[in-house]
Amino acid sequence: MAEIDATGRTTREINSAIRQCIAESCPEITVRNPGARHNLAVAILQEAHIRIAGSAGYYCGGLIDGAAIEIEGSAGWGVAESMLQGTVRVHGSAGSGAAAAIRGGTVIIHGDAAARLGVSMKGGTVIVAGDCGYMAGFMAQKGTLIVCGDAGEAFADSMYATVCYVGGKIANLGTDAVIAAMDSADVEQLEKILGAHLPPALRASKPRASDFKKVVAGRKLWNFDKREWRIWQEAL
Amino acid sequence: MAELQNSGIFAPRVIEEIQAKAESGLYSIRGFGTLRERRWPTFDDLTFLPCSLTRIPLEGYREKCSTRTILGTRFAKKPIQLDIPVMITGMSWGALSYNAKVALAKGAAAAGSSNTTGDGGMLKAERENSRTLIYEVLPSRYGINIHHMRMADAIELTIGQGAKPGTGGLLLGSKVSDRIAEQRDLPIGVDQRSAARHPDFLGPDDMIIKVEELREATDWQVPIFIKLGASRVYDDVKLAAKAGADVIVVDGMEGGTGASPAIFQEHTGLPTLAAVCEARSALQDIGLYGEVQLIIAGGIRDGVDAAKAMALGADACYIGTASLIALNCNKPIYEDDYRAIGAAPHACHHCHTGRCPVGITTQDPELMKRLDVEQGAERVRNLLQVMTLEIQMLARSCGKSDVHHLEPEDMAALTLEASAICGIPLVGTRKVFGH
Repeated sequence: MAEIDATGRTTREINSAIRQCIAESCPEITVRNPGARHNLAVAILQEAHIRIAGSAGYYCGGLIDGAAIEIEGSAGWGVAESMLQGTVRVHGSAGSGAAAAIRGGTVIIHGDAAARLGVSMKGGTVIVAGDCGYMAGFMAQKGTLIVCGDAGEAFADSMYATVCYVGGKIANLGTDAVIAAMDSADVEQLEKILGAHLPPALRASKPRASDFKKVVAGRKLWNFDKREWRIWQEAL
Repeated sequence: MAELQNSGIFAPRVIEEIQAKAESGLYSIRGFGTLRERRWPTFDDLTFLPCSLTRIPLEGYREKCSTRTILGTRFAKKPIQLDIPVMITGMSWGALSYNAKVALAKGAAAAGSSNTTGDGGMLKAERENSRTLIYEVLPSRYGINIHHMRMADAIELTIGQGAKPGTGGLLLGSKVSDRIAEQRDLPIGVDQRSAARHPDFLGPDDMIIKVEELREATDWQVPIFIKLGASRVYDDVKLAAKAGADVIVVDGMEGGTGASPAIFQEHTGLPTLAAVCEARSALQDIGLYGEVQLIIAGGIRDGVDAAKAMALGADACYIGTASLIALNCNKPIYEDDYRAIGAAPHACHHCHTGRCPVGITTQDPELMKRLDVEQGAERVRNLLQVMTLEIQMLARSCGKSDVHHLEPEDMAALTLEASAICGIPLVGTRKVFGH
């Protein structure tokens, strides 16, 4: 177990210290006094458990492959962006573009997520225990996006094959987003994911899996069709 | 009887375009780049002023004229070092065939130059065959992979593209094959639209943080390029420099594309000539000219265009379309197949169809076989080398022992507009007009 005090250190120095610990076979790391600094623990490519003891700025855990990162406060924009594999857990809330373009792994946000949650996500799983803002799931391509609370406007706009589940109210659906029926496989999978990733008390305070709504792409934007020009007029 | 007259406003081509829109309900999407006759100021509006009595030329072939090009000296620990100042621009595997990507990598490597990935990520064979590979980080983030990024010799954060600044790319369903769909995490056969904005930053201030992230991700080793489609170049270049770019790429309106709405190719952005002048002024005005390197792209056809761009302030040039033409784009072979897609040799801009008759902009395995990788690579190498020789010939004739010593005063303007844009005298006068 290693501790790195971020006080008075540059981002470069903090990240170098994290890498140094991992290189020295000490993959349990706590970063103290992070001070909402940007770019903490980016591009960590080994199995390591990095605890940010406070809030992080932009891109915390961005571009990682395999690490587990725990942010005990809130996270700024683009938390876990472009992650390949790994786990990023935010105990507080997350700024815009959380889990942007992730290709795998799991992002768990105990609080709320701001705008464009899971934008352009290409795989992996995103779980928000609270609410999410405007345009969550915009142009999302693959993977699973779960919002236990309410979803903001233009939810799941212009998606490809991502599957979304929402436990609360959806302010309105985005272009080409449609509500699909929840079948037993959905309920089972959703319960399994929530049970595996949310602390029991938090899970218990959220809706039952069978009460979630499922949202997928209506596929009207997948290929241009002049009969659907009104949709395209909105979309482009 | 008096000759019947066409309308100058509703010319035959305009009538056809309106009727095509009325029939199809779709705006025109195509590849290649602007097709308009070049009536805006271009590099053709400049002429070199080689040495006579006031300056002494160097001997061709005997006296050295260096073409060595170093990019990324501002912050990167390992600037890239190229033998020549002409580089291959980013073009995606998806827009281009596998063979085309590999041929470009091999050709560039053989000429001692670089090539760039594109919207869709890096191909293994591309890395293996490149000498210097630039990894593009685009708004769509298709195929984004930190391991590939860390294998690259430079990172290019792309904000826009000259052919279509302010909008994302397109890859029509015919090209979203099973392999391309897998690489990009998309359903097979969709008409793929790329995002216009990056998913995790919006403006120049948060781009500063993004640049820092890319530096951290690559241990501050490799240069970070920022690529801009040429629109408000003067301000954009300053902002890119402020964000910490080692190298700024400015792509003019003559730049090419695999597919985009035709109106963008024809009616958006600054001409490359104007773009290089604005970019140089911006860097000079903030005291970073020379410290931040400048790469110019957009319709560069030969060593003459490249030499003029360099004389106006560029450290290097990208070529895209010209390199594809070296691979046989628009060559009069397989002419029936050009006709089958409504094109003709020398008039094919049908990259978007995925039915490229010469195997370059296609994902069809049979068509792709028409592009032999080794032969294609050889032609790309030859083109890069000839362009370099052309730049050297002009530089020697202007008395320069290094192609990077070319300067604005080595040229005169042939038109008033070029004089005003470039700040160099109009031929036959000693006046810089508009200044």
